[in-house]
Amino acid sequence: MILGTKPQLGPGESNSEKRRLRYMGYIAFCGIVGGIGGFATGFFDQGDGSLLTGDWELLRLPPALALVIAALMLAGFLVLPLYGFRLVDDYQREQSLVGYTGGFLGVMAGFPVWAALHAGAFAPAPNAFGIFAIGFVSMCVSYLYSRWRL
Amino acid sequence: MRNRLKILRAERDWSQAELAGRLDVSRQAVNAIETGKHDPSLPLAFRIARLFDLRIEDIFDDGEPA
Repeated sequence: MILGTKPQLGPGESNSEKRRLRYMGYIAFCGIVGGIGGFATGFFDQGDGSLLTGDWELLRLPPALALVIAALMLAGFLVLPLYGFRLVDDYQREQSLVGYTGGFLGVMAGFPVWAALHAGAFAPAPNAFGIFAIGFVSMCVSYLYSRWRL
Repeated sequence: MRNRLKILRAERDWSQAELAGRLDVSRQAVNAIETGKHDPSLPLAFRIARLFDLRIEDIFDDGEPA
């Protein structure tokens, strides 16, 4: 290839490139939505609460911003994943479903296990963010496993 | 399930990306089918057969006698 010139793409390769760029754009947009939501939550939090320690009563956000963040979270965790299913093919959809299944099973198993450990004084009381984090991490690990094995 | 996708693709001198684009799937999907890690859905199997102007059973073999 001569420096500065692009190789001629066949019609199929051209379609593949468009598909890849569309998917990368989708991933980037998801990252931006998540990043804005996370940054705004942390930067504008006016209270002394923490998602990690479970003192929810001390969390404070301006009401308008809270609505914006709620909308972003709804988009990031519901609308965009559903839209993503329309972008991908059967193979990628299978990998996504393995990821989502892993997240679901992480929550279903994680809460009772955590509750039992708390009852036995092995762990602090379960909290919503902890359960969410278990589900999220389980989903990510399951998805990466499916990308590796399937 | 065994298949002849890689051979058919090589006969036409197509890259995986070229075949993927013609089938409207990801390159990863073509690679997974070629290596036997993933079986295509029936609609995709039909698309593959039409693209190569062959019957599905001429491309895919489940190892069972006809």
